[in-house]
Amino acid sequence: MGKRVVITGIGVVSPLGCKKEDFWNGLIEGKSGIAPMTSLDLTNYKCKLGGEVRDLHPETHLGSKGLKYLNKGTRFLGSAAKMAIDDAKLPVDGSLSNVMGIVIGSSLGNYSETTDYFYEIIKGNPSELSPMRSYDVALNSSINYVSVIFKIKGLARTISAGFTSSTDAIGDAYKMIQRDMARVIIAGGVEQISIDLFLIFYIRGLLSGLDGKRELSTPFDKGRNGFVMSEGSYVVILEELQHAMERCAPIYAEVKGFGNTYVGGRDYTENERINRAKKAMSEAIEEANINERDITLISANACGCKIQDTVEAKAIQSLFGSNVSNVPISANKSNIGESYGTSGAAQIISAVMSVNTGIIPQIINHKENDPDFNLNLVLERPLKKEIRYAMINNMDYDGNNSCLVISIFNK
Amino acid sequence: MQKIVITGLGLVTPVGTGVKKSWESFVQGRNGANEMKSFDTSKYKVHRSCEVKDFHLDIELENQIKENTIHKYVYYAAREALQESGLMDKNNFNIERFGIAIGTLAAELTPFERLLRPDTSKKDNGFDRIVAAVYPPNSITNILAKYFGFEGPTMVSLNACSSGNHAIAWAYDLLIENKVDVVMVGGGDMIPQTEFTHFHNLKALAPEKCQPFDKNRQGLMIGEGAGILIMERYDFARKRGAPIIAEMRGYGLSCDGFHMTAPHPEGEGAVKCMSDAIRMVGLSPNDIGYVNAHGTGTPHNDKAETIAIKRVFSESAYKIPCSSTKSMIGHLMGAASAVESVVCCLVLKHGIIPPTINYETPDTECDLDYVPNVARELKVHHVLNNSFAFGGNNATTIFSRNDN
Repeated sequence: MGKRVVITGIGVVSPLGCKKEDFWNGLIEGKSGIAPMTSLDLTNYKCKLGGEVRDLHPETHLGSKGLKYLNKGTRFLGSAAKMAIDDAKLPVDGSLSNVMGIVIGSSLGNYSETTDYFYEIIKGNPSELSPMRSYDVALNSSINYVSVIFKIKGLARTISAGFTSSTDAIGDAYKMIQRDMARVIIAGGVEQISIDLFLIFYIRGLLSGLDGKRELSTPFDKGRNGFVMSEGSYVVILEELQHAMERCAPIYAEVKGFGNTYVGGRDYTENERINRAKKAMSEAIEEANINERDITLISANACGCKIQDTVEAKAIQSLFGSNVSNVPISANKSNIGESYGTSGAAQIISAVMSVNTGIIPQIINHKENDPDFNLNLVLERPLKKEIRYAMINNMDYDGNNSCLVISIFNK
Repeated sequence: MQKIVITGLGLVTPVGTGVKKSWESFVQGRNGANEMKSFDTSKYKVHRSCEVKDFHLDIELENQIKENTIHKYVYYAAREALQESGLMDKNNFNIERFGIAIGTLAAELTPFERLLRPDTSKKDNGFDRIVAAVYPPNSITNILAKYFGFEGPTMVSLNACSSGNHAIAWAYDLLIENKVDVVMVGGGDMIPQTEFTHFHNLKALAPEKCQPFDKNRQGLMIGEGAGILIMERYDFARKRGAPIIAEMRGYGLSCDGFHMTAPHPEGEGAVKCMSDAIRMVGLSPNDIGYVNAHGTGTPHNDKAETIAIKRVFSESAYKIPCSSTKSMIGHLMGAASAVESVVCCLVLKHGIIPPTINYETPDTECDLDYVPNVARELKVHHVLNNSFAFGGNNATTIFSRNDN
């Protein structure tokens, strides 16, 4: 039995706002962070919407010195990490440096800044590009920046696993603390909108609206036709329980289990997909030493893609059986869209807030039930309910299924 | 505790395609540097790197890119490693317990660069169906999963120059936890013009040759290729009668938390990750018989690494052979520590230490036994592989002979 791991801090940079309160209030007030995209020129493309971060003031978190060198992803992650550190009341005087780590999930990391740099190379004289572009030209430069400014000396790791990157990062960080590799880990995800990200989704045909029908993020809805892309950074402080108690840290929730399966590489039948998704959930539940009946909230992956939502819904129905109608389901992507490598961390933070406040945010944009589904979706208004265990699903159609179980904290 | 063993190795390096050819070159001290062929370097002060030569894949992978890709390099190395380990045929096994972890610095950036060069009117031109498919880093693990039927948990480690060792550490934990039976681990990278330019403008590139620990060292040379290791639980390997090449003993991780590109001058993070690794494995520093140094050939790295090794090993630092294979193949970035882990296993297997070539003038600040220029026969039991990355992102792994 490893060490117990708790969540002691939260930092959010999201399309609903750049404070955890803005994000949470936005969710329970049923707001949407989706709007016509302003940072990209999409004149020639069919899809126009995105969940962009709009009101971030990185200087309030990171100071103005050196800010000009920081690209968008680094501003997102640096700000979210600083908010989480402050929220957890963690000292950043170096006293915890050796026991502190950072594990961040990001599917693309700083890829788009790296390709921007290449674009500049071929447009001009490569020798003239500043060496300060080290802040851009490594896929993990945002994480490097955070480790330098917060003097993190324990470990630094960046995990790329497509849509599940940030859940995998938080799962990995949880395991590392369990095994005493570090006592405090800044964990979460970051992903930023760029033309690269847009085109990857667009060309692969994943975006809502590509079929000429409505462009909308509608998880589990009968008319769902793809996802709306999004960006942000969602960070939690994971901490070993004794360490948190000794410094009287605020404790939001406890991480109890992590499950991980894979459906990439080849074509799978729907049943195979359902079984693998179900297995990731079972693993997490088993590790938490509970059974499915103890789960009182599911934060669904539900991105609005036709097949993926079907697989998830059927996996949940199969796992929970006749009890499925008793388990409320939330789907944050209806409000914030699909933020790729950081989407799981967003859901985890939402679930942590639900565990803390006893409120489950409603799914917005829902118009018509899918007759194949028999789920207890939270619709129209937030649901008040005491939650002991929450399960967070995060899935990649061509990659991992990852699942995290958290609980309310009890000594 | 369950032992974790290595049962297969695969390599694509600038000095040879395949483990056999590469190892012969390492033992002979062959220099893999060449004039850059894959893009025009006329606007640069440096024109050399360590490219993979004469690489040809005998099957056509999906996405059908004509030129070399990371996908092709890792495919080749993975197939070689799986053939050695006897895991090409997985009929009797639960493939959901076969995971994949691959490190890379730049992922498949070169196909994007190739596509954008002829038409630079806007960045969108760098994307077509193929680039959209290969661009996300996890396309690398997906390719391996597809062709080799591994269907367990996957991850791509984006930890710049320590990516390979991070992937190995991640896999080690998954195996110890008994979540999987086998993990295919390693790393792959190409030489994108982007990274070449970046290192060039940081003045980190050596113009002619890579001379780690030499007084006149001028920098690193970028290299490319892939290294793959098959890691598995000992009971699983023994039961299926697999050849056991070495034991993967453990690792240490640290972070300098100091500077975006420069290492800590006293090697603080390097000391922590080497010490943590040795402690995790339950050895004392004196037990280590060989150090495969990060040894990039930059003035800062080699000096700081030497200081760190002395701090960890005290007096015995001078007795432990410590070579940099980067002198021959250059710095393979995200693939570097994976390839060097393969080298470490080969050192254990063959009892030969590959040299640090291009070593000409001793440096009073770098005064360890770098195995200059000529390979050395020496049977060792425990080897340590260092990898340090930009941002002070450090990872050390330890491998031992399997004597049981």
